[in-house]
Formats: sequence, C-alpha cells, structure tokens
Amino acid sequence: MELRRASSTTFDGLPVHGGTEVVPLLRAGLLRTDTLVDIRGVVPRDIAPGRIGAGATLAQLECDPGIPEVLREACRLAASPQLRNMGSLAGNLLQSTRCWYWRLGWPCRLHRVANGYGDECFARDGEHREHAIFANDYCASAHPSDVAAALLALDARLRTTARELPVAELYRLPTEADRRTTTLEPGEVILEVTFDECDQSVYLKAMERKRWAFPLVGVAAARRGAKTRVALAGVAPVPWLLSGELDSATPLPRNAYKVDVARALVKRARATIGA
Amino acid sequence: MQLTVNGHQYEVHGEVGTTLAEALREELSLTGTKIACGEGHCGACTVLVDDEPVLSCITLVHAVDGARVTTIEGLRDHPMIDAFVRSDALQCGFCTPGQIVSAVALVESEPAPTTEQIRHAMAGNLCRCGAYPKIEEAIRTWQG
Repeated sequence: MELRRASSTTFDGLPVHGGTEVVPLLRAGLLRTDTLVDIRGVVPRDIAPGRIGAGATLAQLECDPGIPEVLREACRLAASPQLRNMGSLAGNLLQSTRCWYWRLGWPCRLHRVANGYGDECFARDGEHREHAIFANDYCASAHPSDVAAALLALDARLRTTARELPVAELYRLPTEADRRTTTLEPGEVILEVTFDECDQSVYLKAMERKRWAFPLVGVAAARRGAKTRVALAGVAPVPWLLSGELDSATPLPRNAYKVDVARALVKRARATIGA
Repeated sequence: MQLTVNGHQYEVHGEVGTTLAEALREELSLTGTKIACGEGHCGACTVLVDDEPVLSCITLVHAVDGARVTTIEGLRDHPMIDAFVRSDALQCGFCTPGQIVSAVALVESEPAPTTEQIRHAMAGNLCRCGAYPKIEEAIRTWQG
C-alpha cells in the first residue's frame, strides 16, 4: 500500500482524512486499497455563518458559538475527545454502520462475497437491540451519525466535487439491485456543508453511557418560524427524517424499546424549541 | 520519513499502514504509549499531535509527517505525573499513560477545570480498574 498527498480533488485511490473510520476498516480487512490518498490538504475546513468546510473536525464545531445548537450538541455528544480531534465533518457523514454482524465481516447483504453480495440480514433474526426500527426489512442496520441527523434537521446542503445536493440525498436505502448506502460516486469528495439560520434547535441523545457511545436514538430538531424538522439517528439504515409520529415504526422483537425512547425524546425536543 | 517526537527527530522506515503507536513502540522503543484495544476505542494509546490528544493506534505514522508528537515520555517532568501519584489515581496502571496525556492537554488549555470539564475531556480514556474518582481528583488538584 502507498500513501499519497492529494494535490487536487481529482485523484485515484481511497481518500482518507482524519482516518478514524478508514484506518480501523483497513486494519479489519473490511476496506482494501493499494493507494491511500490523504485529502486533508485539499478539503476546506474553515467555518463561516451557515457554511462549514467539510474537513472541519468535530472538535472545532462543538465549541464554535456560531454553529447552531443542534449541530454543536451532536458533535459534543459524538465519539470521544480524541476522535473528535481527528474526525472530519464529512467523514462522520460517511461512516459505515456499527452493525456488529457487518463489522465482524459476516456475509450480510451489505458485504461482497465470492459471487456478488450476501443474501441475509443476520441482525433481523439475531441480536438487534441496537438496530433499526424503520425501513429495516432488507437491512436492519442503524445509521450511527449524530451529525447527519443534525444536518438533516437543518435541511443542510452539501457541495461535492461533482454537484450540490440536500444532505438527505447523500443517503439511500440498500436494495437487492444496489447495496450502496450512499449516493457518493467513486472519486467524488464532499467539500462544504451549507444551511440557513434557524430560530431554535436541539439535539437529544439516548445512549448506553453518558459519554462516548453511539446513539441508541438521537433526536435532532430545528425550527424556523412555524416549521419544524425532526430527524433521528440510530433508528434506520440511513439518517431518518421523521414525518408524522412514531406509529409507523416497525421494530424487531428486541428493539421495540427504541420506539418509546424516540417518542419521549421527540416530545421533549419539540417542547424545548417551542414547536 | 521523519518523525518529530518529544522534540527529537527520528527516521522511521515502517511500511504504509503502520500506525503511529506501532512505530513509537517497535521502531523507537518508546513503549510508554500502550496499545490495548487497537481500534480506537479505549484511549490507552493517546498521544499529542500538535498539542491535541489523538489515538495513535488508528493514526497512520505516515500521516503525521511534519507534525509534533508528544508521548508520555515527553511529559515526565510535568506536574500531572506527581498529581497522579499523590492521588493514587491508578490500580493496574495500563491506561495511565493515556490518561495523563489527555489530562495534560486539558490543563494546558484550562488550568482549573470544573468537574464537568474534566469528565468531558477525559471521556475517551477508559479505565477498567475503575479508578475514575481518583483520576478526577488528580486533575482537580494537579497544581498541588
């Protein structure tokens, strides 16, 4: 394997920024490449009102008073201090699922096997207390990004090397025909995140410990005038924009508790921001 | 590649993919930095890169080319060491180098941290002996 420093946003190889996701996945054999490309030098990391360079670290964002509360708090409650010093905003958006079957390399529907992809979701019939309660019939993984939920609540937009898109369009549910969970094309790099100001916002997170844990349920809410957007982390294979209430959830036998947790946090979040 | 550790320049020959923790321990014999989980969870491998705590077990050594690395060996004269001894802030001691590195980064930016600030800044350093109350005491009283 070789490591190159990117001199522009056009390159061949696997991009790495903070490395908090790519390095463990490489070491676990879940990612493979001959060429790693260090893109820290070509991805902006400056922060301006309503505009954040995709290379900004979570540590930068958690203590910047110009960042909306929902995003600042999502960053503050994400990962550990060391990981927040290392990990970038865009890297956080692109992290893979924490599904333990996927991480342990079980041949599930998201993993390539000898003749294509796996044809089973082991979590559905196995251990799934931390898994999805929405859109979980094909793959029950839960998207772990607090930051993605916050940006979805803010209705943020991404600028990449190829296009501009709402953050919601970065993600896709895996299907039999296409197992990808993001719409990012090979070689495409997220450069910047933009969003409009909001009146009030909040991020609430239920986790196994008070610190350094992935969300069992994360609830992000942002209000502009009379309009409020609520987005959830840890409840679906992608960050989940809540439309209506929690009644449409389809929990598995051992994660129905998440519906109650989500319902309570959504109610509390709405009350907090006067929605 | 050149690696700057505790103010000294070293030549490192590891293959790409070698982590900073492996290079420190195996090439430079700086074994104060510990590897426990080896996958970025526990904080035992914490070192400072340009004064910020990072996890050396998931940092590629080739990615810190040109940066300043500080390990526990570079902090041997820091008063935080005495504070940990005074407060008896360890049992087995395996996590202690990482704990001290994180604690030093905290007090260098916030010399009199509140309990909440200590808990927030130290959340990425796990201690399976459960010495947390004493670690907190050491950081609260580090100035003696």
